[in-house]
Amino acid sequence: MKLAALGLALALAVAAAPVSPADAKGAGRKTYDLSRDSVEASVVRGSIVFRTYCVLCHGASGEGNGRAAAQYVPRPANLTVSVLADQDKERIIRGGGASVGRSPFMPPWGHELTDEQIEDLIAYLRAINVRAS
Amino acid sequence: MLSRNLWITAAALAVGTSGAFAGEHVVAQKDKQFSVRQMKIKVGDSVAFRNDDPFFHNIFSLSNVRSFDLGSYPKGESRSVVFDKPGRVEIECAIHPAMKMTIEVTQ
Repeated sequence: MKLAALGLALALAVAAAPVSPADAKGAGRKTYDLSRDSVEASVVRGSIVFRTYCVLCHGASGEGNGRAAAQYVPRPANLTVSVLADQDKERIIRGGGASVGRSPFMPPWGHELTDEQIEDLIAYLRAINVRAS
Repeated sequence: MLSRNLWITAAALAVGTSGAFAGEHVVAQKDKQFSVRQMKIKVGDSVAFRNDDPFFHNIFSLSNVRSFDLGSYPKGESRSVVFDKPGRVEIECAIHPAMKMTIEVTQ
């Protein structure tokens, strides 16, 4: 019985073991570089910023349909089809919509978010943009 | 005599229905928190949301009883809302998601 339990534990451990990049490629699975400075890690961190601060108006999918969206005219932007350059997005995020002649309902986030959070958020916005090549 | 009493009654009614005795309350935003988490007020009362923090707040409510968005405003500025219907109003800050309070508006 003990031997069977040990065998089962070993089998489970092997099944749960992380797959090396070489193994994964061989198995046809996509690999992600989640080292601290990678783009993928920035996108993941950016998604956390988005879910914390942005979903209220822009919605979970970024399409401008958050729970507060209905009360605003114009509606919050659909970020998945944005044509703005990264630096324009950064200006709006930092200074709010009114600072660039856009909707005053977009608050300024420059004092709330760190430079890294804003950079990560923009990386995330790039990732969810369907127009991005 | 009757005419004078009629005028006094009419004046009292006018004052009573004009909201002249409506309460005015103040809720401060300090250290990314509301100064009170819950409060009870009467229909017709107003609440001034005063920003005491060195950064913007954006106070809003999506409650059916009273929905509003005060926009983003800096330290020292105060914006008021009149609550003209009874019910529960849930209030938040669009910039600081952890900031929440409720106002119970009673008749």
